[in-house]
Amino acid sequence: MKSVKQLISSVWRALFGDTMRAFAIVSVILMLTLAIAPAKDHFSQWHRYQNGYLSMISDRGDAISLRRRFEPGIQQIWHPEIGVVDRCETCHEGLKEASLADVTTQPFRKHPVIPHPLDRYGCTICHRGQGPATTVEEAHDSKLAGVDPILPARYIESGCGQCHQNALTGTPQLNLGRQYLAQYGCVNCHMVKTPDGTVMKATDNPPSLEHIADKTTRDWIFTWLKNPQAYAASATMPNYKLSDADASDLSAFLISSSKPQAGDVDATIIPAAKNADPSAGASLYGESFCATCHAVQNAAGNLVGGDVGPELTRVGNKVKPAWLQAWIENPRVYDEHTLMPHYRFTPQQVAMLTGYLMSKSDSDYSTDAHLGTATPAQIAHGRKLVVELGCAACHTINGVKKPDNFAPDLSQIGSKPLAQLIFLPGMKQTLPTYIASKIKDPGSFGPAMKMPQVPVTDAQREALTTALLSLSDRSQTMPDKLRIAGFHQTTYEPAGHAGKLMADLACMSCHRINGHGSDMAPDLSYEGSAVQAQWLDSFLKNPNTLRPALTRRMPRFNLSDADRKTLTDYIMVAYQSPAIDPDKAPPAVNPPALVEQGRQLFYSKYACQSCHTANTNTDKGYIGPVLAQVGTRLQPAWIYAWLKNPQALRPGTIEPNQNISDEDARAMTAFLMTLKSAGKQEGKQ
Amino acid sequence: MPGKTDKILEQVEQSRVWRSIFRSGRGTSTLHNALAIQQSVFLHLFSTKVRKRMLSVSSTWYLGTLTLGTFFILIVTGVLLMLYYHPSVPQAYADMKDLQFVVSSGLFLRNLHRWSAQAMVFLVFAHMFKVFYRGAYRAPREFNWVVGVVLLLITLLLSYTGYLLPWDQLAYWAITVGSNISAAVPLVGSKIHFLLLGGNQVDANALLRFYVLHCLILPLAALLFVAVHFWRIRKDGGLYVHQSEPKKAGVVDETELVKEVQ
Repeated sequence: MKSVKQLISSVWRALFGDTMRAFAIVSVILMLTLAIAPAKDHFSQWHRYQNGYLSMISDRGDAISLRRRFEPGIQQIWHPEIGVVDRCETCHEGLKEASLADVTTQPFRKHPVIPHPLDRYGCTICHRGQGPATTVEEAHDSKLAGVDPILPARYIESGCGQCHQNALTGTPQLNLGRQYLAQYGCVNCHMVKTPDGTVMKATDNPPSLEHIADKTTRDWIFTWLKNPQAYAASATMPNYKLSDADASDLSAFLISSSKPQAGDVDATIIPAAKNADPSAGASLYGESFCATCHAVQNAAGNLVGGDVGPELTRVGNKVKPAWLQAWIENPRVYDEHTLMPHYRFTPQQVAMLTGYLMSKSDSDYSTDAHLGTATPAQIAHGRKLVVELGCAACHTINGVKKPDNFAPDLSQIGSKPLAQLIFLPGMKQTLPTYIASKIKDPGSFGPAMKMPQVPVTDAQREALTTALLSLSDRSQTMPDKLRIAGFHQTTYEPAGHAGKLMADLACMSCHRINGHGSDMAPDLSYEGSAVQAQWLDSFLKNPNTLRPALTRRMPRFNLSDADRKTLTDYIMVAYQSPAIDPDKAPPAVNPPALVEQGRQLFYSKYACQSCHTANTNTDKGYIGPVLAQVGTRLQPAWIYAWLKNPQALRPGTIEPNQNISDEDARAMTAFLMTLKSAGKQEGKQ
Repeated sequence: MPGKTDKILEQVEQSRVWRSIFRSGRGTSTLHNALAIQQSVFLHLFSTKVRKRMLSVSSTWYLGTLTLGTFFILIVTGVLLMLYYHPSVPQAYADMKDLQFVVSSGLFLRNLHRWSAQAMVFLVFAHMFKVFYRGAYRAPREFNWVVGVVLLLITLLLSYTGYLLPWDQLAYWAITVGSNISAAVPLVGSKIHFLLLGGNQVDANALLRFYVLHCLILPLAALLFVAVHFWRIRKDGGLYVHQSEPKKAGVVDETELVKEVQ
């Protein structure tokens, strides 16, 4: 101990015993300390990467041009208006070098081709991470509050969704995710206000339960509540994992709260419904294009049909025959706002369809719950459950108000600070993981979690996560000029007799008119300028397909002559294109020389037959509509305007704008107007 | 050679320019040395004479001097940091990132400022403990103790106002909490809170206000009180002598002039 003390004191004396020497030593130590900071600067990570890049390109054929474009030092993309300071290119030097496409080592890889120039919006706007950082750890995986780590590549489309509120062809996952948010009814409970200020609306059409007792039994409701997907594989109703007692009480309340709807219960079953020929019903089901909206599971277990209406695989297990008959006769009696058209079937047809659909039952699917009569205590408990579970957020239920803000607002979920999230043990602590896990199994986040497990596949969950991640803070604060608005339904409704008729036929369930309606069938906003009244009348009477490549067809509604006239007159007058001047229409009948000139232009100069069929015997074009009868269908003014500029009449149509001269367009219009009857070409007069 | 150097030095010191700046003149007499201290605006705050043993490490542990040293480091690094810093939202935080990632030795500069600030707070407390336990606050030094307490408060306020300037989460919430404490003062609490933040919540106004406090008002106040503090050391009879130490018999307190006080 003493010797150590002696040693220390002798060293101390040797170093600091003399004032001058002590001063010199302290100065040297200070110098060395001050040299650490510039040395750290010099040996920084990005210096090493830039040196690595230089040595990598020196072995390549185009080393000289690569080196000429190489800029040493900190590189930065700076866009103050969107808050971008990205120094990623300091290390990622080769992002813009097309010749480095074969390089696989990071950080030197070339960036894949994207629609924007790389410098235009920077990197972090899509990839997240900390842009100003110049070290890998800080840039990619910062632990700072308010800084997101790099976004996994599979969610990258969420970046596009911050500006693009519309559906892009390059972002299928994002588009699907947004669609699912509406389709799975997420936005019934959660508020999602998109950056352009509109509130997202659900498209899952949850049925009203005001008259549920007319439609089905308490036993079926019980079985459905226990597992909706057992009844219909495509059901979007989540499985709430209710106990038998809870499901029983819920069904008791729903039946007791139901009010009978006149016309449902007092309908007498048409005897033919019971012994109608099932095969006739099947063919009527096909002819009426029920499968356009309704799906049925085939023997292989695959769903065949559309997803607009409910799946009908086991509909016979569910509905009461009297209700089904009344529904098919006129669905608007039971549900005023249903998307289903009022078909105007004859009583015989109603009976056939009812019989056919009632036969769609599954003997393995038992609704035999033997629940008996409900006690008041059960009903009261059922009502309590309805309020607790938020059933009324989706369904209309007598005596229960639709809850406001039942679930958290998701408008800025894509930037939710990590500090506000509660992660499960072992979970990767990032926002995408949190969102995906929450959708996958909300129950694992605690028994008090009210959110049900939404029946989505893994891919659908990734799509939903992508769409939610696009709802970031940045998307809300983006300058307006960078924001691309999405499509929003207008509130357009046709008025008058025709309007009532169109609502009854649910035209807008398939067609879009003046920005309102679905995009399944052609937009009818300018239909009155396009078609001839006579053709429209005959098409409504007996619709046929216009495009051989498409299988969906317009259903036949059995309209009366008077109804058809009302509709035709209204469409011809009201749905006119402002781009077409009806007073300056080319003549419908033309001299044969002009017709012949048009025919030659059609076949040789513009080669229209590669997509269209003008002569069903010789032409094989099938992409565009068949033109064999176009002379009876379209108006000459429309054909002329269409040839001049198709996109002006129907934005987004794939028909190319070939810059056809006035003269050529006039000649081809003359030719097309001569194509009048099927199969026969009257052009060669 | 040394003779030649001395000659040149002598010439310089006798030149008109030199004499016009340093009035005490050349010489090693007690008078010259006393004048050298007294006639410099910076040094005249200090005693012209101190007891030699008061300059030993054990008597003060140099705590006051070290505090002053950290204060000078803070002024130098602080001025350099001001060259890179905008007291605006959200640029303030971006400037932190620039200092961290692209300014040469920026991180060193910032860390030096931060660690010196921590050290200064620690040293101020240590200094006060030493003064307290040695009883150096007693007459005639009561007033200088009070000045010291004011300096403690200024140091803490400097530390607190500097905390907001990085404009990160830590800063934001620390100042939110701190200013809410001020709002708990009876009767005038909400007024103080409003005055402090220039508004009702921590935002751009608060940042600007704290910046001005941190870089101008508080440092000037500190300098003023440091001057008074040092002046009072001289006026109160120099550095404190531990009275309880037994005097050596027959030895009068040896006094000697010191040229360098620091």
